[in-house]
Amino acid sequence: MKQYLTKRILSSLLAIIGLFIMVFFLARLTGDPGHLYLPIDAPLEVRKEFSEKHGFNDPIYIQFSRFVIDLANGDFGDSLRKQRPAIDVVLEALPVTLSLAAVSMFIALIGAILIGSLAAYRPNGVFDRISRVVSLTAASAPDFWVAITAILIFSVSLRWLPTSGIGGLPYWIMPIGILLIRPLGLLVQVVRGSMITALSSDYVKTARAKGVREKVVIFKHGLRNGLLPVITVAGDQAAAIANGAVIVETIFGWPGIGKLMIDSILQRDFAVVQASILITAIVILSINIIIDIAYAVLDPRIRHK
Amino acid sequence: MNVKNLSLAISTASIIAVSGFFSPAFSAGKNLTVVLSEEPDIVDPCEATRSNVGRIVKQNVSETLVEIDPKDGSIKARLATGWTQKDKLTWHFDIRKGVKFHDGEDLNAKSVVKSIQRALNPKYDCEIRTKFFGNMSVTASAIGSHTVSIKTKKPQPIMPALMGTMTIVSPNTQEAKGVRNPQGTGPYVFGTWTPGQSVTLKRFSGYWGDKPEVENVNYVFRKESAVRAAMVKTGEADIAPNIAVQDATDSKMDFSYFNSETARLRIDMTRKPLDDIRVRKAMNLAIDLDALKGTIFADGVVPQTQIIVPSINGHNPRLKPWPYNLKEAKRLVAEAKADGVDVGKEIIMIGRLGIYPNHTEAMEAMHAMLTEAGFNLKIKMMETAGWLNFLSRPYAEDRGPTLVQAQHDNNNGDAVFSMFNKYACKGAQSTTCDSKVEAGIEAATVAIGDKRRDTWQEVQRRLHQDIVPDVQMFHMVGFSRVNPRINFTPSISTNSELQVSQVKFN
Repeated sequence: MKQYLTKRILSSLLAIIGLFIMVFFLARLTGDPGHLYLPIDAPLEVRKEFSEKHGFNDPIYIQFSRFVIDLANGDFGDSLRKQRPAIDVVLEALPVTLSLAAVSMFIALIGAILIGSLAAYRPNGVFDRISRVVSLTAASAPDFWVAITAILIFSVSLRWLPTSGIGGLPYWIMPIGILLIRPLGLLVQVVRGSMITALSSDYVKTARAKGVREKVVIFKHGLRNGLLPVITVAGDQAAAIANGAVIVETIFGWPGIGKLMIDSILQRDFAVVQASILITAIVILSINIIIDIAYAVLDPRIRHK
Repeated sequence: MNVKNLSLAISTASIIAVSGFFSPAFSAGKNLTVVLSEEPDIVDPCEATRSNVGRIVKQNVSETLVEIDPKDGSIKARLATGWTQKDKLTWHFDIRKGVKFHDGEDLNAKSVVKSIQRALNPKYDCEIRTKFFGNMSVTASAIGSHTVSIKTKKPQPIMPALMGTMTIVSPNTQEAKGVRNPQGTGPYVFGTWTPGQSVTLKRFSGYWGDKPEVENVNYVFRKESAVRAAMVKTGEADIAPNIAVQDATDSKMDFSYFNSETARLRIDMTRKPLDDIRVRKAMNLAIDLDALKGTIFADGVVPQTQIIVPSINGHNPRLKPWPYNLKEAKRLVAEAKADGVDVGKEIIMIGRLGIYPNHTEAMEAMHAMLTEAGFNLKIKMMETAGWLNFLSRPYAEDRGPTLVQAQHDNNNGDAVFSMFNKYACKGAQSTTCDSKVEAGIEAATVAIGDKRRDTWQEVQRRLHQDIVPDVQMFHMVGFSRVNPRINFTPSISTNSELQVSQVKFN
């Protein structure tokens, strides 16, 4: 297991280095940041002076070597727009996205396990049919439309919840609610499918024949084996949210990393683009490693391999 | 747990979650909440020409020597009590006495000079410098305790208007780098900035002018117009300075105002067949502006005849908008074709996503109108970065004929802030080079009084009638939503600043 993990971490490091080099060059292919930073009416002389001052006119290999040297010293550079260290900007945004991702994935996972397991208990029963329709609808609902509709209903018409912003529990309800709809819908489908398979397996039949209580059969024997594909999908979904819940962050005014990444790409703020992609990549690769560990914990066969 | 229990649990949780126990934070008392579309990257007053910075700091935290009256473009005193032109190259400004910066420093000639020098320092990419003083050599010096001399190498008859853009900051402000806690002389002191969430200001007890009614200001940022409109509707915010036309649905709360923006399609006159004036005239005649107004564009927009709005010095009120005349447009196209002009050549319409509401629909409608007149066009919608490659120099040599969707904002009192860049031979976004226009721009730039106005007006006439460098569209309107507890009327300057001291409570 230790050897496996070491190998996994090393390959992740290689992936990050590759990604970083790619991001550096791809970002510069988009053009000169001065064109977007300076006002449209700025004279040509000012544009030239700006590019020279910030080194955007230097050959790309010089820019790259400067970047590598700075990075080796732990310096991601300053945000052109915000005029402060890019890493500070990114680390301010990261906890916002991570807390959104963690809370919504936790609720989605618990909800999906409960609903999916109960649906699988009596396939094609009333609960199963209802949960299937609802989860399929949820999995395909467009975030933007749901978010604006939710604001109009719960904030403008009913006045139950704040429209947006960061604060106490009321401020979390709509963003989390919107964010968990899709993972919940997907996970209910996956839990249901894998639990139907697990509950019809021989070891479950044996457990029932031995008189084990139904609750134990479902949640211990069935669920433990049925969870493996669920973890894969949950990991993917968590990674997707950690990569930036852009729509929720934008609409509800949560200054997360998704919104930051999109803004910095559109503004050609290279230092922030690089720092945010690196940090996000580290988070996603960490999630993948955690999934691998969870697999090993749940399935002894993987541990022993 | 059976299905019944589970359903009950889920229902209970839902009811608790959305129950009315929660009461959102509403704006109240003498406090004001303003919801802006974008958080500033930096709040240095030197960047106050950016609307998201200007709406927070300009004239609230940091004031200018003079300010431009949005009604008629005239110049009013602010931190300067008077100004005189000593000779063609020199202006003197008398600085108001008894004014303190928020950090306790005195406002005097020395502090004003230091502030101007900071803004014009090439080591700092201050937008005031790059936008208004880029090609100018300016020397500021103190010639008394409260008199500042400003010298230029070329005559600058509109120096007072230029000083309306120059925000004055404390002499203790760090040089060559933007600040996150600006210290000015304005009626509000910069409070806190929670990145991504809010900026606060509080009333300055030592302000030299009238005491404003609003005590504290909280700026929050929401990108979606529907959310900004909803925040004012629910009382979470008091003012949303700009909302989209489709969200301005409440006549009691929503105001439309001329926002100093002028929309056009910039014609690349250097490329065939757009180098033929009959083609350019036909394009203007083919656009049915009445059909666009009140449908794709807001009802309040006004067909334009020039790139500046009527309140700007140099606007020519005698010009008439192009009429919609498809028959004449087709005749001009046919005439050009008969003379060998390749009118069937594909012309690319370069659009910019988000440039104004219904940007894509506007392009599609104009595409249909121009196609009907006999042109062969294709639309390309782009993000700002790609679009700028077509709008501004250096232009690609191998580019084909283009019409670029553009919008220009000038609420700085004079046509000079528009004309060189748009229509001079070396203008950053110009594709025309006409000797009469060039001479007119040069002459008007250094002229004063009636001569200045008349010269600009002749330049506008020449462009409109003889050169036709644009497909002229509209002087645009913006929409603000204002909470009924507030007495505030948006104006042309709301596009770039929002003076909290003008806000009263009903």
